[in-house]
Amino acid sequence: MSPLSWYQLVAALLLGIGLYGVVSRKTLIGMLIGVELMLNGAGMSMVASAQLTPMDGVLGQLGTLFVMGLAAAEATLVLAIVLVVARRFGNARSDTVSELKG
Amino acid sequence: MNMELLARLAFGFYAAVILAGGALAVSSPSLIRAMVGLVTALFGVAGMYLLMDAALVALMQILIYVGAVSVLIFFAIMLAQSSPDGDEAAPASLWEYARSGLVFVVPVGVLALTAVLVPVDSLPLPKHIGPEALGQGLLGPYTLAFELISVVLLAAMAGAVLVAFERRKPR
Repeated sequence: MSPLSWYQLVAALLLGIGLYGVVSRKTLIGMLIGVELMLNGAGMSMVASAQLTPMDGVLGQLGTLFVMGLAAAEATLVLAIVLVVARRFGNARSDTVSELKG
Repeated sequence: MNMELLARLAFGFYAAVILAGGALAVSSPSLIRAMVGLVTALFGVAGMYLLMDAALVALMQILIYVGAVSVLIFFAIMLAQSSPDGDEAAPASLWEYARSGLVFVVPVGVLALTAVLVPVDSLPLPKHIGPEALGQGLLGPYTLAFELISVVLLAAMAGAVLVAFERRKPR
């Protein structure tokens, strides 16, 4: 196996751990932690592909920087949503926000 | 001791840190401990970036993820009125474990089989790209993306403030 395959293997594991977290967690914050793990796996895979193949390395590194920026924006919005849900329902569990109206 | 062995050792160490941190992040009953696991995994990923000779990305990983995003999530935990004995402490049913395990096994199995079975040529050493090249990329071919991400960040921040300060009308 080439070094690139090893990096991709770790990135795939990180993606799987994140997916497991998103599905198994019962609170919105636990699900957010899973999403962050998945985004890190994606970033690692992109940088590995850019740095270890003849493709343009600048593109891969800048793409990962943009993913980090989007992750920060997403975390800000989730913080606001958690705040609203916690104020309205008393906790931030995912099954308490199952009603659409009200 | 030669450099290749050192690189392999560093890779194994960072991979172990990432997997241990990730496992703690998704399995701990207490959300604070899960956050500590997430920060550990983020540091491991930063180490991987260093190993791939992407020093600026590693620095940004620590600055943005460990410094900003995890503090945001800590704020979320603090403001969400978490219960002291752990929010995730309720036992899960067998079906829930099976469902989560399936979601872990199927994508990872497919991707790992692909990574193992399909041989990919890779450079023996990662390319060296300095911060100058990244800066020229940001101000050259990728200016639009650079400007758009600042618009996205501004919109997200304004949206967060708008949502969080919403006064609910009495019914």
